[in-house]
Amino acid sequence: MNVSKLDNQQSSCDDTVVCLTDINVVYGNYVALYNINLDIYKGEFIGICGPNGSGKTTLLKTIIGLVKPLTGEIKLYGDNISEKIPKEVRFKFGYVPQFAPYDKNFPATVKDVVEMGTYAKAGLFKRITDKDRNKAFEILKLVDMEHFVERPIGHLSGGQQQKIMIAQALAAEAEVLLLDEPTSALDFRMTEDVMELLDFLNHTHKITIVTINHNIKLLRAFTKRIICLNKMISYDGPTSDPNLDDVINKIFY
Amino acid sequence: MASLADFFVALGNPLMQRALITAVIIGIIGSVIGVFVLLKGMIFLGEAIAHSAFAGAALGILLGIDPLITILIFGVTSAVGIGYVNEKKVMKDDVIIGVVFTFFMALAILFIGLMPSYSTDIFSILFGNILFISIENFIILICLSVVILVIVFGLKKEFYLITFNSEMAKIAGIPVKFLNYLFLILIAVTIDISLKAIGAILVFAMIVTPAAAAYQWTFKINKMFLLSIIFGVFSALFGLLFSFLWDLPSGSTIVSLTTLIFAVSFILSPKRRKTGIIPEECGFCSQTIAGKTYCLDENCTHLDIPHKHDDEGLIIYKTDLKPKKEKTIHKHTLKGEDS
Ligand SMILES: Nc1ncnc2c1ncn2[C@@H]1O[C@H](COP(=O)(O)OP(=O)(O)OP(=O)(O)O)[C@@H](O)[C@H]1O
Ligand SMILES: [Mg+2]
Repeated sequence: MNVSKLDNQQSSCDDTVVCLTDINVVYGNYVALYNINLDIYKGEFIGICGPNGSGKTTLLKTIIGLVKPLTGEIKLYGDNISEKIPKEVRFKFGYVPQFAPYDKNFPATVKDVVEMGTYAKAGLFKRITDKDRNKAFEILKLVDMEHFVERPIGHLSGGQQQKIMIAQALAAEAEVLLLDEPTSALDFRMTEDVMELLDFLNHTHKITIVTINHNIKLLRAFTKRIICLNKMISYDGPTSDPNLDDVINKIFY
Repeated sequence: MASLADFFVALGNPLMQRALITAVIIGIIGSVIGVFVLLKGMIFLGEAIAHSAFAGAALGILLGIDPLITILIFGVTSAVGIGYVNEKKVMKDDVIIGVVFTFFMALAILFIGLMPSYSTDIFSILFGNILFISIENFIILICLSVVILVIVFGLKKEFYLITFNSEMAKIAGIPVKFLNYLFLILIAVTIDISLKAIGAILVFAMIVTPAAAAYQWTFKINKMFLLSIIFGVFSALFGLLFSFLWDLPSGSTIVSLTTLIFAVSFILSPKRRKTGIIPEECGFCSQTIAGKTYCLDENCTHLDIPHKHDDEGLIIYKTDLKPKKEKTIHKHTLKGEDS
């Protein structure tokens, strides 16, 4: 059953930041994503859920170009990216990978990690400017972590590290944030903290947010649109739709 | 035994001057490359490259050409080959490194066996001799070192980001694949040009040890580079001096010195000192046990944020502050390293 709202709205990709058409992704002879059609519009706050192995991470990686689909078309900001993602478009996307704790002694401070967001734009053989540094610090303030500037990254708690990774993406001036289970390693308080930060960025800074999360209650509290994956899109619509519960029951049980 | 005065007299000799400059240069390039080798966890890969270079040297001597040529060919080829296998994820790196490592030793022994007579050159490649660097090799050493330093420092931020998180570097549009190969080639070239001076068996210590010692001291990458270079150059210079004074093999004296620096760094490392950050007296954040103050929070995370506590003594973060719960307000200052 495909309840995707896209069925009756065969899209033209106008005004979308991400537009996937008939995407199939395979690993070897294993299908990870089957026939995905998906539109994401500017300013949306979208939650993605689905069981383990349902292709959530693969979907985000496909959008960002880390995984190449077997067939189908990807448009980012209306640009077809089948060959190569143009620089200007690439910089608009920030990706926060699934939480992996850093080596406690890795020589990088919070400041260094946020500044890393500005590296790619600065270009090879160039140093980052004072302007970049200031921007990084402003963003640290934005995510309310400025007290930690000189703290080694490995000495932060999991939730604080996640906030720093979000800050790094923002330092790269990302307009679309793709987050892979940003709260999976966090306790309830830190989880709310991170989700509130995302909500704030979405509202105040008009950042488009796509976040994977296993907690459907949480997604319902914060997002307006939920996508349920199970290799295919089993649900794509508002969080309030009673249909959503049926779909969740179906794909999880 | 020679005296210090003899050493300064010997410095008048061009051979000795060349040895001194060679020592300093190897101290610098080894410790610079070493920082990223260590952070990227490529230590065994470097070891394998050193052995392939030795096989190259043996072939060069067998063929009667300048071993540096065959050393470079073998070193760079094996580095790129290992990088390719690593990239395609055909198998785990340690398997391929183990196979390549021993294969090159076998090749080296084969080449030595094919030599009509025992060659002292082999001995000098294996154990190194910093006093017998030919003028051509010396010039090549200087030129390639400049290239290595320009590339590593020019692309420092890219290598740093790749080391921190290569997936994020890739998404940001940094040419990760290309830079990974480039870095492998840089390791190979560093090892290859240092081989004759330090010896195939010991050369890798010039890369790992100063960086590993520097790692013990700091959480900042620039400081790690600086310390690594200081340790590398210090041990190269004083290693050369001691080997002259007491007539010791130069390579092993230099390596012994870096190892000593590493051992001291390891013991004194602030990273190992549990009380690097001393919590201020605050009944909620710290606890005095057996006369010593400890953090109640694993990483002492709360110490540098202004925070308050509620009646039950829970730590409450700034973002949670509710005016009516005000009980105690204070800001801890960080008394650890780097502040
Ligand atoms: N690089 C890969 N090579 C082969 N198979 C892969 C690869 N990456 C993922 N897969 C497979 O594709 C399927 C989807 O993986 P994916 O990581 O996208 O799932 P997920 O929904 O993110 O799961 P989780 O909730 O566990 O993070 C899984 O069955 C996984 O085993
Ligand atoms: Mg996943």
